[in-house]
Amino acid sequence: MNTIALVGNPNSGKTTLFNALTGSNQHVGNWPGVTVEKKEGVLKFNEKIYNIVDLPGTYSLGAFSEDEIVARDYILKGNPNVVINVVDATNIERNLYLTTQLLEMGAKVVVALNMIDEAKERNIKFDIKALSEKLGAPVIPTVASKRKGIEELIKQSIELIEKDIDFKANISYGENIDKEVEKLKGFLNNKDLEYPSQWIAIKLLEGDKYIYELVNKDENVNSSNEFKNVIHNIKNNTEDYELEIVDKRYEFVSNIADLTVTLPDEAEETITDKIDKVLTHKWLGLPIFALIMLIVFQLTFTVGEDLFGELMGRGIEILSEIIENLLIIINSPSWIISFVTEGIIGGVGAVVEFVPLIVVLYMLMGFLEDSGYMARAAYVMDNIMRALGLQGKTFISMIVGFGCNVPGIMSTRTLENKKDRMIAILINPFMSCGAKLPIYLVFIAAFFPNNGGLVLFFLYLLGIVVALLMGKIFSKTLFKGESSYFIMELPPYRLPTLRNVLRNMWDNVSGFLKRAGTTIFAVVTVLWVLAMLPLGVEPYGQSSILGQIGLFIAPIFRPAGFGTWQAAVGLFSGIAAKEAVIATLGMVYAGVSQGAELVSTIQEVFTPLTAASFMVMTLLYIPCAATIGTIKKETNSYKWAIFTVVYTFAIGWLGAVLVFQIGSLLGFS
Amino acid sequence: MLKDVLKEINDSDYISKTNIAAKLNKSEGLIEDAFFQLNRMGYIKEEKTINSCNLKCSNCPYSNSCNNIPIKSITVTEKGKKLLGR
Repeated sequence: MNTIALVGNPNSGKTTLFNALTGSNQHVGNWPGVTVEKKEGVLKFNEKIYNIVDLPGTYSLGAFSEDEIVARDYILKGNPNVVINVVDATNIERNLYLTTQLLEMGAKVVVALNMIDEAKERNIKFDIKALSEKLGAPVIPTVASKRKGIEELIKQSIELIEKDIDFKANISYGENIDKEVEKLKGFLNNKDLEYPSQWIAIKLLEGDKYIYELVNKDENVNSSNEFKNVIHNIKNNTEDYELEIVDKRYEFVSNIADLTVTLPDEAEETITDKIDKVLTHKWLGLPIFALIMLIVFQLTFTVGEDLFGELMGRGIEILSEIIENLLIIINSPSWIISFVTEGIIGGVGAVVEFVPLIVVLYMLMGFLEDSGYMARAAYVMDNIMRALGLQGKTFISMIVGFGCNVPGIMSTRTLENKKDRMIAILINPFMSCGAKLPIYLVFIAAFFPNNGGLVLFFLYLLGIVVALLMGKIFSKTLFKGESSYFIMELPPYRLPTLRNVLRNMWDNVSGFLKRAGTTIFAVVTVLWVLAMLPLGVEPYGQSSILGQIGLFIAPIFRPAGFGTWQAAVGLFSGIAAKEAVIATLGMVYAGVSQGAELVSTIQEVFTPLTAASFMVMTLLYIPCAATIGTIKKETNSYKWAIFTVVYTFAIGWLGAVLVFQIGSLLGFS
Repeated sequence: MLKDVLKEINDSDYISKTNIAAKLNKSEGLIEDAFFQLNRMGYIKEEKTINSCNLKCSNCPYSNSCNNIPIKSITVTEKGKKLLGR
């Protein structure tokens, strides 16, 4: 039975053509030794049966992937009687690269110029006859999805099976390489090799390791010292040859396309280009980015807090009352009632109350991400990083750090340069992670409800500025050396889909809720026990173990204006997880602390100025335990983990003290 | 052509395959392929931020959302710089 192989680029419509040729007469298996799917089918035409093999979609026939190897081995060793090369007519130049390689192999090729209808719609015109002549292979326009041109394609393929024609690509790879090819062919001809000698010669010059091994193993070929010398010389020039050969193939393709394909008039400037001229502008890019973020934060407060925030707070209050009443009805011991209402609902509830804001914030961020804008934001920031002499890729890890510092630090693995990586690791904790949001939201609700977006914006900005400054200092002191640079690819803009925006939001909100139900719950439980012990002391009082820990630490924070034991304990618990700061404050201001009541309690014990210094402290001070552990793991050193704890605490403390002291001097309270 | 594409990459502030295609008067598909070949031959190195999500942090509640921003970066390697220097 004659065999027809189908080969083509991914998305060229090859599988659609395979289905059109074989109908339901097909079966799926695997190619031997690999996990690549093998599809075979049967074509019945004019009472004859043909075996149709659908080869894996590939752009090239090198040895770069399993798909490429499977496709090229089958064409060379499987001996198909004819190869149908499915070419996407809307992307002909790219597709003809594979055609060129097929012709180099000497395969009997029929080109199925597929999706010709789409090409017509795009005003792409072909001189089919000329294209066929230039390639030296029949070219049949097809629309596989509508079964157009299929019969002609089959006829041409069958006709070719019966003809005895030598197929070859009329490519010159340049004088030097052509000479080398001829020289190699001299050694390879008549040696009974598995592959055509011309093709082996080209592959040797391209540095194909698989072919090198094959030739080296073959004693017929390898026995000649002269051949060994030729191979040795080639090896020294492989890089140049490889580039030249690939480039000549492109030249061959381009020349054919120029002569046989008419593309529509030069494409006008795309919408993406027009938008980018503004959004990535040298001077306007950064202010626009800042403005967009400001709008995002302001909308978060307007929509999240004003519309839904109160509802959530009220909901938690009602839930607390219901649970408390239930516990009283079933005669629960007072410590259980205290634990559930003051510990869990007071602590975890204080965190959960901010879910509406988180929902709105991450929906808006999802909108920006899905539209392609965030890549532009990274590009705009990359320019600043370069200006500061820092590696631009550092900002990618910083952006990741906005979600969580742990993956932010782990993403620095892509930085090859040790200096760049160490700096990126050490400054990542200044990125305001999602877990710090509830802290800001409580204090903003208490003191800056009308300027919430602005305050949040300045906090994020401060984190970035401190990170960049520290990066600059580290690059001049601890880690000197030259940074390496990279270039970013900007994807085209697209209209965000509701599905993607909602998924992004849900990923973040579910993570937030999961943390509230696990880590925060555990921290609250431990702190509740510490707030109750020793037995007999006033619960949540300063005589409890928790109060004593707070009293011990509190003096450090007096210069920053919040030297109370409750604030100190809150910051201390934040080392376990940042949301725990609010959960702890919610609990230690015991009983009074659910929902809006935490906000009103905070209004009593803080002032706008101390609230500002407290927020700066939480933004900059010691990262959470998971982040510290990751720093130790990634630097493989306790030294750097301890260094991070010490220096971030110093920076946070200094920042908070500066805010409070300068604010006081200026007459703020 | 490959060297021209490499030069465009090296000289750009950011990569836009559409811009490079327009500048070199080639189709975007061909430029896409040229990137693939340059990457394969080691003249450039392409990385997506998604790589950094290949991390052992699946227990982290934020693991689904840690890295949504699709940033693709391209570095011209030493081999690429050597070629451009010739």
